[in-house]
Amino acid sequence: MAEVKVKLQPPDADPVEIENSKMKGSDNQEKLVYQIIEDAGNKGIWSRDIRYKSNLPLTEINKIFKNLEAETARESKQNPMIQRNSSFASSHEVWKYICELGISKVELSMEDIETILNTLIYDGKVEMTIIAAKEGTVGSVDGHMKLYRAVNPIIPPTGLVRAPCGLCPVFDDCHEGGEISPSNCIYMTEWLEF
Amino acid sequence: MTQAEIKLCSLLLQEHFGEIVEKIGVHLIRTGSQPLRVIAHDTRTSPDQVKKALCVLIQHNLVTYQVHKRGTVEYEAQCSRVLRMLRYPRYIYTAKTLYSDTGELIVEELLLNGKMTMSALVKRVADRLTETMEDGKTMDYAEVSSTFVRLADTHFVQRCPLVSPTENSEPGPPQPAPTLVINENDMYLVPKLSLIGKGKRRRSSEDDATGEPKAKRLKHSTDNKEPIPDDGIYWQANLDRFHQHFRDQAIVSAVANRMDQTSSEIVRTMLRMSEITTPSSAPFTQPLSSNEIFRSLPTGYNISKQVLDQYLTLLADDPLEFVGKSGDSGGGMYVINLHKVLGSLATATLESVVQERFGSRCARIFRLVLQKKHLEQKQVEDFAMIPAKEAKDMLYKMLSENFMLLQSIANLIERRQFETKENKRLLEKSQRVEAIIASMQATGAEEAQLQEIEEMITAPERQQIETLKRNVNKLDASEIQVDETIFLLESYIESNTKRQ
Repeated sequence: MAEVKVKLQPPDADPVEIENSKMKGSDNQEKLVYQIIEDAGNKGIWSRDIRYKSNLPLTEINKIFKNLEAETARESKQNPMIQRNSSFASSHEVWKYICELGISKVELSMEDIETILNTLIYDGKVEMTIIAAKEGTVGSVDGHMKLYRAVNPIIPPTGLVRAPCGLCPVFDDCHEGGEISPSNCIYMTEWLEF
Repeated sequence: MTQAEIKLCSLLLQEHFGEIVEKIGVHLIRTGSQPLRVIAHDTRTSPDQVKKALCVLIQHNLVTYQVHKRGTVEYEAQCSRVLRMLRYPRYIYTAKTLYSDTGELIVEELLLNGKMTMSALVKRVADRLTETMEDGKTMDYAEVSSTFVRLADTHFVQRCPLVSPTENSEPGPPQPAPTLVINENDMYLVPKLSLIGKGKRRRSSEDDATGEPKAKRLKHSTDNKEPIPDDGIYWQANLDRFHQHFRDQAIVSAVANRMDQTSSEIVRTMLRMSEITTPSSAPFTQPLSSNEIFRSLPTGYNISKQVLDQYLTLLADDPLEFVGKSGDSGGGMYVINLHKVLGSLATATLESVVQERFGSRCARIFRLVLQKKHLEQKQVEDFAMIPAKEAKDMLYKMLSENFMLLQSIANLIERRQFETKENKRLLEKSQRVEAIIASMQATGAEEAQLQEIEEMITAPERQQIETLKRNVNKLDASEIQVDETIFLLESYIESNTKRQ
């Protein structure tokens, strides 16, 4: 049975709603597993570690995974529009949230926040949409509002970069029979031993 | 041809077919189209050997021929087809996921043999499947035939072009080489055969599966002389169809990553509905109505029509523009923007390379530059980094010069061959021991005797063999992964250069 890494997807619906619905009708074991996964946060957690932490047998764990996945799927089939709309945040909301957190020593304006958000867009982590907003709506500028949301990349890291050659700094100097060659490549050796 | 292409083709031809075929194949890749005697002369090979090599290459669709005006026949290598050999494991695995072990073996045999008649193929696959079954059980030809028919119906296998029936009856001197043609309507037509029989095991013991003594069985081998019912009708794997499948998989996966499971299932349904009707190189699928899509959703997938419509609207509104709305009839007409999706996949692939090779900052600049044209059109603040035209040229250049990808695969193959060569002595010893054990088991040796032979290989040696196997598998897997990158980039280039 292959090891899998598990983590919570950014919830499609209101986070409080999902948690409540998950807890409704779930037994203690499910709650425990869910809590363990949630505690692991963004890093995710290997299924083996979930077993150690919860002390539950593999068969139970697999059953629980199936249930949790089914519940999420059921949730997302219900209200796609509502889910999607709730997954957006306006630049104003983000600004307010950051200010309230108090993590910045300097006072940040909404434009500053938007610059940081742009960087995240160029990192491929955030997507922006501009919508028309009535004058006077909180956070609107010139009748427009910028909405942001977190996105996943559409592909995992591509095949080439998972091979040693894809990241090799001396790729151009490498050829069979040369001082640097596939046969004597130390990067390949390290990668094979990993 | 680039050096990397030639190098990789050379490695592939040698691994699959040996020295002579490699020599002839690589020669043709380098020189282009040539007649037989010139090939023989230039490669200093006997015409007879050149003929044999060409036969193998033509059988596997790696070389084609053309009759020229003066009546000379010239042979031309298909470099890109040679590189497809890297993808054979993926084709075979796909057949396995769709049509289980029978499908897997059908496609494997077709790829290994180039072209086969259905009757020969069915028999061979039935025999191979029987080998893996419990004692006394055999595989029916009928079962293999029905899987074959399904593969033909879904276009994963197709008929090979044949000699035109009117050719030899035309007046004038006979052609030096036959012209092969196939009617589009006939390409997937399965001949009406009644193949009756079961697979046979290869036994090394005296009796065969039917209990007949060996001597008598030899007489039966004359059934090779029976007339082949579908003689002349050959089949091959339809690589384009597999590529379409891979493309669809990539699209569904992209939607699942960006949106959610349900959206990706809807897109999968739309792609399935368009499988046979939309050509591979089309910019978008035929428009599908929301009603049709609703009816075609997989059974057991219970979302209401209303919810489906919401999902379709969300898909069409998404900035990625994978799905477009093309009309309002039938509850809303929707298409999948194939060109757009392939472009996004190619872009994401390049972003991934830049990110891992050069780091996050460079990746940001890269994404900024790619979007710059879009920004300019919206007349937003001018981030003057690299002019948009130059960026686009750079992009196309990176995409079309696959050299780094091909060279990487060549490196992986060379390392794999090196690892195997390093352990050659040990591998051969291990194979000898296995052979001895196998023959001892067949003649009923005792457990203690077998143990003694097994101990001829020491524990550290066993460890070494395990490590070698693991390394070879890892290198093999990596070749396939790099080929996946090639596939995405080539799909984009193809879709943008084919004429509609």
